Amino acid sequence: MAKKIKGPQMLIANRLDDGRVVFFTRTGGWSSNTDDAAYGEDEVLESLLERAQVFVANNTVIDLQAIGAVIDGDKAFPSHIKHAMQAKGPSVRADLGYQTSLDWEQA
Amino acid sequence: MYAYDQFDHAMVASRNAEFRDQVERRLKGELTEDEFKPLRLMNGLYLQLHAYMLRAAIPYGTLSADQMRRLAHIARRYDKGYGHFTTRQNVQFNWPKLSDTPDILDELAEVEMHAIQTSGNCIRNVTTDQFAGATADEVADPRPYAELLRQWSTFHPEFSFLPRKFKIAITGASADRAAVKWHDIGLVLKQNDAGEVGFEVSVGGGMGRTPVIGKVIRDFLPEKDLLSYMEAILRVYNENGRRDNKYKARIKILVEAMGADEYARQTEAEWDRIKDAPIDVPEEEAARIKAFFAPPPLEVLEETNASVDEFASKNFLFASWLNNNTNKHKVPGYVNVTISLKPHGGIAGDATAEQMELVAALADAYSQSEIRVSHEQNLILPHVPVKDLATIWADLDEAGLGTANVGLITDMIVCPGLDYCALANARSIPIGQAISNRFDDMKRIQDIGPLKIKMSGCINACGHHHAGHIGILGVDRKGEESYQILLGGSGAEDASKGTILGPGFDEHGIVDAVEKVVAVYLGEREEGEEFLGTYRRIGAQPFKEALYGTH
Amino acid sequence: MALINFTGIEAGNWTVLAEDEQPTEGAKVAASVTRIADESEEFFAAVGELGAVVSTETAYADLAPLLNKLSFVAIEFPAFTDGRGFSLAVRLRKDLGFKGEIRAVGPVMPDQAMHLMRSGFDTVDVADERKEAFEACAARFKQFYQSDYRGAVSIAHARHSSDESRKAS
Repeated sequence: MAKKIKGPQMLIANRLDDGRVVFFTRTGGWSSNTDDAAYGEDEVLESLLERAQVFVANNTVIDLQAIGAVIDGDKAFPSHIKHAMQAKGPSVRADLGYQTSLDWEQA
Repeated sequence: MYAYDQFDHAMVASRNAEFRDQVERRLKGELTEDEFKPLRLMNGLYLQLHAYMLRAAIPYGTLSADQMRRLAHIARRYDKGYGHFTTRQNVQFNWPKLSDTPDILDELAEVEMHAIQTSGNCIRNVTTDQFAGATADEVADPRPYAELLRQWSTFHPEFSFLPRKFKIAITGASADRAAVKWHDIGLVLKQNDAGEVGFEVSVGGGMGRTPVIGKVIRDFLPEKDLLSYMEAILRVYNENGRRDNKYKARIKILVEAMGADEYARQTEAEWDRIKDAPIDVPEEEAARIKAFFAPPPLEVLEETNASVDEFASKNFLFASWLNNNTNKHKVPGYVNVTISLKPHGGIAGDATAEQMELVAALADAYSQSEIRVSHEQNLILPHVPVKDLATIWADLDEAGLGTANVGLITDMIVCPGLDYCALANARSIPIGQAISNRFDDMKRIQDIGPLKIKMSGCINACGHHHAGHIGILGVDRKGEESYQILLGGSGAEDASKGTILGPGFDEHGIVDAVEKVVAVYLGEREEGEEFLGTYRRIGAQPFKEALYGTH
Repeated sequence: MALINFTGIEAGNWTVLAEDEQPTEGAKVAASVTRIADESEEFFAAVGELGAVVSTETAYADLAPLLNKLSFVAIEFPAFTDGRGFSLAVRLRKDLGFKGEIRAVGPVMPDQAMHLMRSGFDTVDVADERKEAFEACAARFKQFYQSDYRGAVSIAHARHSSDESRKAS
């Protein structure tokens, strides 16, 4: 969060229990699916961060960060390659990507 | 193999009970993440890109068949069915849940394994030659000393919060398969003129952003003095190593700043004061540990076997495997088999639970229930009778473990890179896959001959790129992955630092670049000359010209 | 703050002197090494017992000339990761033969209780809410793989000791 990011941002974190990557959603929860992710800049971002902090405080998530986002229609996706990787899962094990492993997520 | 006694069991059990308590307190919110993070790291639990990652130690790379089966069980029950063997002879699980890790550590403890000091600024897992105790070119088996070091370094009262991580490697052979000169401390077993066993001691080796080859500070340290001498080296480092900048905190920077002679002088001065304190173990203890590593009782057998030779004459891949993947054992009629975890197009160092179980079964049947892990991310069956090789290869090959590429261009070291690692700047695994697919021709790669490619996805150099004959370093160039190429490194007894050739390439360009480098070598090599020899003879220029033109 | 006492030493109640503060007659006071080095004989005559507050940066050799005046040394850890404090305590015991109280001050963690204790610290100042965790950590392990400069012998020695009481049950 040290670096100033221009443009819209989304919030990424890891769930405390299983470490799974999640994004703060428009409905104020967390999802591994970027389609659900909330995004914004300036005051909107500030307000998202404030709401998301609650989940850090109550030990639901850790490592909360605001990251740059590319907006396509009304959906946000991480702009930096590292966070894109977090959204998609390892590029070399398509069988383990998040979107394909919902069973594991719910286990 | 070493077997725990009640002291060792008690140590690990107490640690695991403590960690279980810490995890419970974290999940209940009694510990904050800032408080918990250093505690979990001390038990090898990282938070990586996608999930937690648990790194378990495989002390000096030695595993029993039962331990390997337990790793398979952990992979299946708590992870996604696979594990990753690392350049530090450790194993990593990529997907454990925090709440499961205390159970995983208990499962490991049941088979006398742990994750203690696999992370943090402490003395890490001591690594050694994967053929220790089984190779013809050895002065003495390094593993008893590695076990001594394991015990001595565990929860050391003074050296658990060093300026930075600290890695010790030890070898007993003339051929250095443990990259000892690239370690914070490198130990080479030798005999003096009186026939006594001791160590040549080097300090200050390391990779990372400042690659340095270690310098010898003592030619011969008697074996009985090992631990007191280590204490002296570590005390000088703990007191004087830089703590203001983590990139300058490794012992290599201190040794460079102080000079190796001064480092040696301070170490010797401190050692003089402490060598009579009860730091080194009693003779009976050294003997007790050595007894666990007594050579297995192997009956001398025929050096060759007619049916194996017959099969090799008909099967090119098996013949190649015999040639590349087996190494001479000290007892006639036996070899050490290296199982390549580098199938062409596969992920270097990964093994599935099923593969682990097969290797365990083969170890029970053919290698005295012993398995080794090499720093080059392969598995080894030591003490294998020559007569059984055809059967073993057939079983391995069926499971995708029969690739005959050990020591060849596709036997690459590849770090997890940006596919898993939170520190990485670029992916490594797909580059490794693309290179091995490009060179997927056993005839061609055997013609190219011994050539080590080592690849890291960031400057931290877990993939040993500085020590690769061809090194590849992934960097972030304005948000894009870019790959630099280095030539001329070595992690062997002729240790040398690779030199960066020029600007980086994209993920396709780097594969072409490797192919061009190989083409220059093939054009320039003299009869019987290996890649590294040619590079050292002709220098970087012809390779630069091939990659970047003449300017 | 709570004081954890590992060794059962009679722990002093030390007043750390502010820069220009003069000690009351016969008091137990502690001050920085630089101040102690500059003080006059009158100062030493006035204080009851004297302690030094030192940073982990302190070279142990600099303490040697002062040691006969000191009955207490507090080592300040700027961060729990600064392991120089452990070596400094070892040096005080091993090389300087210091027999007085050594106390750890600063953000050390409960998990470090065993390291502190075994490096030669007697006491540690901890936040009240960490007292229990510190005590639990200090008691968790019964024996260790290293001999230490307090006189405890390593497991390696205990394994071959004829003294059965040293062996774990």
